[in-house]
Amino acid sequence: MAMSKDPVKPSEALLKKTTDLMHDGMDARAFGEFEMPPALGDARWTDELILSTWHMAATGKVPDNLNYKTGLSNGGFDRLDFKMLNEDQWLEHSEDIDTSISLNRRGDERHNPTPPIPIYGGGMSYGSVSVNVMLARAKNAQKWNTFMSTGEGGYPEQLYECKEHVITQVATGYFGVEERSIQAAPIVEFKYAQGAKPGLGGHLLASKAGEEVAKMRGSVPFVSLFSPFPFHSTYSVEDHSKHIDWIQTVNPDALISVKVSTPHDVDMVAVGSYYAGAHIIHLDGGFGGTGAAPEIAKKNIAMPIELAIPKVHKFLIKEGIRDNVTLIASGGIRTADDIAKAIALGADGVVLGTSDLVAMGCTRCSNCEGGPSGRGCPWGLTTTDIELQEWIQQEWAVKRLDNYYTALQWRLREILRQLGLGDVKDLVGRTDLLKYVRGDA
Amino acid sequence: MGNDGNQVTLTKEEFARQSRILADSYHRYHIDAMETPDRQALPNNFIVKVGKIGLAKMITSEIFHYWGKWDVVFSRPCTYGVFSGPIGGFSPRPEMCVGCLRCTVQHPEFVTVLPNPARAALGDSYLSSKLISTIDDEARKGTVPVRGQGYRGRFGGPGWDGMFTDMSEIVRPSRDGIHGRELISTVVDIGSKPMSLKFDSNGELVNEGPKMMSIQVPFVFDSPDGNIMTKKLATIWKTAAEQIDTLAMLPAELVTTNSLASRAVVPILSTNDAANAGSFGNGTRMVELDSWDNAAFETAKASNHDLQIGIRLPFESGWQSKLTEMVQAGVPVIHFVANNHGEDNEGNFIMDLLMEAHNMLLESGTRDKVTFLNSGGIVAADHLPKSIICGLDAVGLDLPLFIAMQARLSGDTASRSGYKLKLPRKCDDKWATQRIVNLSASWRDQLLEILGAMGVREVRRLRGEMGRAMWCAHLEAEAFSEIEGFLGGDE
Ligand code: SF4
Ligand code: SF4
Repeated sequence: MAMSKDPVKPSEALLKKTTDLMHDGMDARAFGEFEMPPALGDARWTDELILSTWHMAATGKVPDNLNYKTGLSNGGFDRLDFKMLNEDQWLEHSEDIDTSISLNRRGDERHNPTPPIPIYGGGMSYGSVSVNVMLARAKNAQKWNTFMSTGEGGYPEQLYECKEHVITQVATGYFGVEERSIQAAPIVEFKYAQGAKPGLGGHLLASKAGEEVAKMRGSVPFVSLFSPFPFHSTYSVEDHSKHIDWIQTVNPDALISVKVSTPHDVDMVAVGSYYAGAHIIHLDGGFGGTGAAPEIAKKNIAMPIELAIPKVHKFLIKEGIRDNVTLIASGGIRTADDIAKAIALGADGVVLGTSDLVAMGCTRCSNCEGGPSGRGCPWGLTTTDIELQEWIQQEWAVKRLDNYYTALQWRLREILRQLGLGDVKDLVGRTDLLKYVRGDA
Repeated sequence: MGNDGNQVTLTKEEFARQSRILADSYHRYHIDAMETPDRQALPNNFIVKVGKIGLAKMITSEIFHYWGKWDVVFSRPCTYGVFSGPIGGFSPRPEMCVGCLRCTVQHPEFVTVLPNPARAALGDSYLSSKLISTIDDEARKGTVPVRGQGYRGRFGGPGWDGMFTDMSEIVRPSRDGIHGRELISTVVDIGSKPMSLKFDSNGELVNEGPKMMSIQVPFVFDSPDGNIMTKKLATIWKTAAEQIDTLAMLPAELVTTNSLASRAVVPILSTNDAANAGSFGNGTRMVELDSWDNAAFETAKASNHDLQIGIRLPFESGWQSKLTEMVQAGVPVIHFVANNHGEDNEGNFIMDLLMEAHNMLLESGTRDKVTFLNSGGIVAADHLPKSIICGLDAVGLDLPLFIAMQARLSGDTASRSGYKLKLPRKCDDKWATQRIVNLSASWRDQLLEILGAMGVREVRRLRGEMGRAMWCAHLEAEAFSEIEGFLGGDE
């Protein structure tokens, strides 16, 4: 059949056939019923990492016969390993191993959320992903008593049912920022920059900025949307402090997160953000990112997250403020092992984006920005195409994410107990528990 | 001021009128890119194999199962048209495949998608298949390549891959426009500036002032060595250089025999022919001598005092002493030449060689007297700002231009003369020129992205800004020094 020129919402029968085929196929691939797809994977997300994520999302368990720990990028997390204790010194694997973190360490009068896992969901805007994907992530966040961020595309009405778990992002284009969504937010995230395109601002291609998306963003349909860079109202850390004051006026109880990328002076930026009033400093390294980004920006501008975390962690200690702020890392964190390594390097917790999408079926084909079809993700993830977005059904997607987070927590506890630690907070900055592996890790 | 130096008082209206003419005459520099389809397409990225029996069985079963629900019966997993030919999946169209893998996940029993080995085999260890694909795309569209889902490659890496450029969270070149990068200048000056101006007691300038010319982008189109350049290629280089206001460096013989002299053309002469340096005319602004010879340089200079003289300096053992001699002799433009992998004859990489050359002149306080160009080893958009950070004023491009024209290279592609070109059968000058103009537009726009992120307002200020770059090896040493087993970055 020729490609439909005007996609329409799929019929019940088509929806069932397609999603059944997709889901069965993902399981068959993840459970090794067929050989590894030869065209799957890359150095960062290998075929085994993608299939192991599908396995975890299907079962809630780590696989026996796939490498679910490291990729083949030949550096950073892929060259680090843990110095595990001898088996007789391991703790019991139990729910008593505490994987929770605190998001308000300033000791002020605001609330102090303590998600039971050191993970929350990164911003993926409405427009870059569908409402189904956003809602699935929000519902999973609710289930795990953690959070997910709106990204810079506004706050779709449906998200209000999970509002206690939704972070409202204020980014440089102010797309969709409203008093109501600030007031609803337990955490407000200022996105100064993002790791995949540091210094460049956001970018939503015209083909993905349809009627609904444009309405949400207060823009004209099918016109490319560029967020400026940087905030045109920010010339200094004092201006940043003024931003935070605005938010506090609108919502005095919201925690403030400041998301920045990883330039040379990221340590100074972090300290400045803290003194301006941030509760969370969110470092976004260059290797992640889910949206469209210029290829030149992905690797060449700013530093990988593995190299930024220790720099900031040590500087915050030197400044005597490390215990008063939560340091969150993102941008290239793929596995539970990466999470534990990021924490051992000095982060308190991490933000996941790509891994959530992989759990829901992403093959990392990079066609999210529209691809030659102009319709966006053929799996229904990074698209608002009326037909394609239906391939992600919420109930299925929430279950996948829930299973995936269950497996992540299990593996995290496994690492902690093998290190003899009963609390993930005791892993923060413990580079002495890491070893550098030479050759391919 | 009037011609005689006296102040002329304008009426308000006249002043406004002249100001308006001046303002209206300003055109922001822009390169006219235009989608320019392939003439010799690269091999497909993927091979799509569909088992005919499996497909036939599936269709039969679906017709039976979903009789009457034709939307279901005719639905196919590919949104890119691979199975939308006249006989659908029985004759897939792999050239349209983007590797989303939906078909092979949905139908693992009879659909396989494989990376195409012919695509992977393109290029060599330096100019990889991936870089060739990127240049091809840039030359087709003339835009900045944009894709989803993060970075896919290795952590750090050798050569340029081990270098990151800095960015600023707040500092911008300008708050005008969306990102401020609309107003960034990519103009570079070619030539020599005196380190100071000297005046006599009457206030008259006694030494030579700056002798420079400007080009709009920090890259020029260069010729490979040997006999690779032809009249056709030289004409294309020249036309593209004229369109974007840069320079085409062409063998002098080709320039003369084909009447290619122009203000955008830089004839390359052997030292034996230095006396002909002033003979090209038609607006020629600069010539290059193919090697260093002080006498030949003086001869070329004497042939026309207004000409810029560049000297090509291969990165070979002893280049440092030649560089010192050339600077002392007052050579205004020094054009380094590395092999196509960006190496000298001992295997040292240009990143280090360029920093060494730049620092040598900084130490002797002579850096601004000279323009540095380099050819060889610059084959991706990110290499451009990175090499400028290492000390270049502008780069010379040759191999990327051939790739933009969809030429296939064979032979010793590492050397500057040991390879052969196979151009597309239909390679008319207009098409080829536009592909090169597109590549230029794409690389310039990508340079603007980097400069914008750094908060640098003009590319001239990027030269030698090593403090605004980060080397993976240094960062790793800082981050991982306390970790057991870490011996040093960039192993
Ligand atoms: S288009 Fe490809 S990379 Fe993007 S979300 Fe979909 S499957 Fe993943
Ligand atoms: S991999 Fe994707 S693009 Fe390629 S044929 Fe299969 S469905 Fe189509």
